[in-house]
Amino acid sequence: MEQDQQNLPSPEPLLAAWIKWTMDFWEALAQMGPSRAGTSVTSAASPRGVKRAPEDFSLLALRMWEAFFSLLSEPRTIDAVFKGIKAPSGITLKMAQTGWEGYFHLHRQWLAGGQEDEAFGFEDLDKDTFKIWAEIYERDFKQLLNLPLLGLRRFPQEKISQGMARFGQYQAAMAEFMYLLYLPLKESLRVMQEKLAKISRKTGLSEDFKEYYKMWLKILEGRYMTLFKSPEYRRTLSYTLDALADFTMAKQELLADSLKALSLPSLQEMDELYREIYLLKKRVKDLEKKLAKPGPAPGYLPKGQVDD
Amino acid sequence: MTERKIPVDLILAKMAAEAEKVQHRLEKAKDILLGPLSTDIATTPHEVVYQEDRVRLKYYRPLKEPRLKTPLLLVYALINRETMLDLQPDRSVIQNLLKEGIEVYLIDWGYPTRKDRYLTLDDHVNGYLDTIVDFLREKHHLAKINLMGVSLGGTLAVMYAALHPEKVNNLVTTATPTHFDTDKGLLHIWMQEIDVDRMIDTFGNLPGELLNVGFLLLNPARLVFDKYVGFLENMDDQEFIENFIRMEKWIFDCPDIPGETFRQLVKDCYQQNLLIRHKLELGGKRVDLKKITMPLLNIYGRYDHLVPPEACKPLTRKVGSKDTEDICLDSGHIGILLGAKCQRELVPRIAGWLKDRDKQDKGPKAAAKPKKK
Repeated sequence: MEQDQQNLPSPEPLLAAWIKWTMDFWEALAQMGPSRAGTSVTSAASPRGVKRAPEDFSLLALRMWEAFFSLLSEPRTIDAVFKGIKAPSGITLKMAQTGWEGYFHLHRQWLAGGQEDEAFGFEDLDKDTFKIWAEIYERDFKQLLNLPLLGLRRFPQEKISQGMARFGQYQAAMAEFMYLLYLPLKESLRVMQEKLAKISRKTGLSEDFKEYYKMWLKILEGRYMTLFKSPEYRRTLSYTLDALADFTMAKQELLADSLKALSLPSLQEMDELYREIYLLKKRVKDLEKKLAKPGPAPGYLPKGQVDD
Repeated sequence: MTERKIPVDLILAKMAAEAEKVQHRLEKAKDILLGPLSTDIATTPHEVVYQEDRVRLKYYRPLKEPRLKTPLLLVYALINRETMLDLQPDRSVIQNLLKEGIEVYLIDWGYPTRKDRYLTLDDHVNGYLDTIVDFLREKHHLAKINLMGVSLGGTLAVMYAALHPEKVNNLVTTATPTHFDTDKGLLHIWMQEIDVDRMIDTFGNLPGELLNVGFLLLNPARLVFDKYVGFLENMDDQEFIENFIRMEKWIFDCPDIPGETFRQLVKDCYQQNLLIRHKLELGGKRVDLKKITMPLLNIYGRYDHLVPPEACKPLTRKVGSKDTEDICLDSGHIGILLGAKCQRELVPRIAGWLKDRDKQDKGPKAAAKPKKK
């Protein structure tokens, strides 16, 4: 047995090769960055005058990801992975630090972007964060969850992996949907600020702040209406509902296994039963109609038997 | 251009005065909110005279001798509950109809559970609704009854009237969508995109909670922000608080919708617009609106974003009846029946319209034996 293990090829070169391949991939993608960033800059110079953050979110995310992999490719990291018994705490810390730095950088950019004086239009949504996350998720994390599983427990394990995958998708969809709902709020406050500045220059500000509240509410209402009618919103709503449905289905499948272990009927089994009852009742009602005799209707409640 | 000065001192003074008012208001509100509150809804006395599965028929007796020989059957939507028609004592469509001397029956569709997921539109229209109409015809010894539908309940009533015109004396529709192919209402727009098969296959029934969120999203500025600002501003007014809570109770009380019914409603009505094109089929029978030959009163709201006028108006042109009337009110969806002006003017107008047409083809006794189930 021991000898068998000794005969097995060492996994280290494999890991190194995989890391190198992934590194190359992210690097190549990052090199495509300038063109993508260029698109962003072009849109900054668009007639609508939309200003964007100088660095595209996608680039940041790519760099962050690249940083991880460059760290992974260091020989000592590979060593550490395979000599994990000796807990390479220094390396783990460094990896975590790189990740957090990247995350905070992304966050800072987001905040900076939020303070920009952007022109409004739902067609110009800067949702690269969500797109990038979805891409990363689809290409990396989801692949791991879709790994073929082996052995006796493969079926339940597969359902758990599916459940996790669906949960990830649902979270991503929900985040994008909530972000869309937040946009009109942000935009209404910006417009309000501009209006106040204008009023202040022209006639001076009124001391009745309720006027401003009403003004803001009207703007907000208008912005929401524009959003809700936009194809972007409809697409996101539909995507979110689908993701919710997929996640719910995955949950139900997981639950069905637990119920089976407890000898309880699953939803699917109950549905089959409900369907049979429904069809039987319908058939009985049809027959009742055919055999109708004079007398009170089937649901007639004589006085005194009412439940209200 | 010289920039004017901001009257910071005035604004601060105003805010200070307002803060004092708020404090006073909060003190009063505390007493009100901790004290006894009358927030019950649907309090008009009634009896349940018929029940089949989850569906119940409520009977409201007029305060005086009925002035109409034909009773009125109210069909509410499957979305939200019929309690809206009897929300508060001074704003109750039911009570106003009773004051007009009309015998009122109201369908309570109940709370569908998972076992109801296979019920179709046909089961609601040709099943429950038809059985109830037959029950009333028998009880009142009449060949026909008056039918009034509210919102999507009106759509069910229209389908019923087209399939069973011999049982309907007059038809009243309020905020009733029949033409679904319009981009004026948000619901109409959103329904085009949803994958209803996936939703129903997953959830069984359409969850009421999802509908609650959906309705808030129709106008978040008003329903999520302004409504509660209004609450804070009026929380020292007991009557306001009571009515506000009544409305909250109603608005978030949305039962699930039976899955197959919702699937058909979305696909056949919202996505393919079959009803107004006389192409909808229920239980293998085509719903031909031309067969609606009884008088029709079609009421809708000019500012209704849920069921816009464009979704309601075409009905009167599509039916076979020569006695039709459209009433467009300056109100939204809920305001049609709950607005103070509507309460004051609309119900007497409906009652008057029904009174003018309160005749049966045959004498009431001659028609005493409708075909029984």
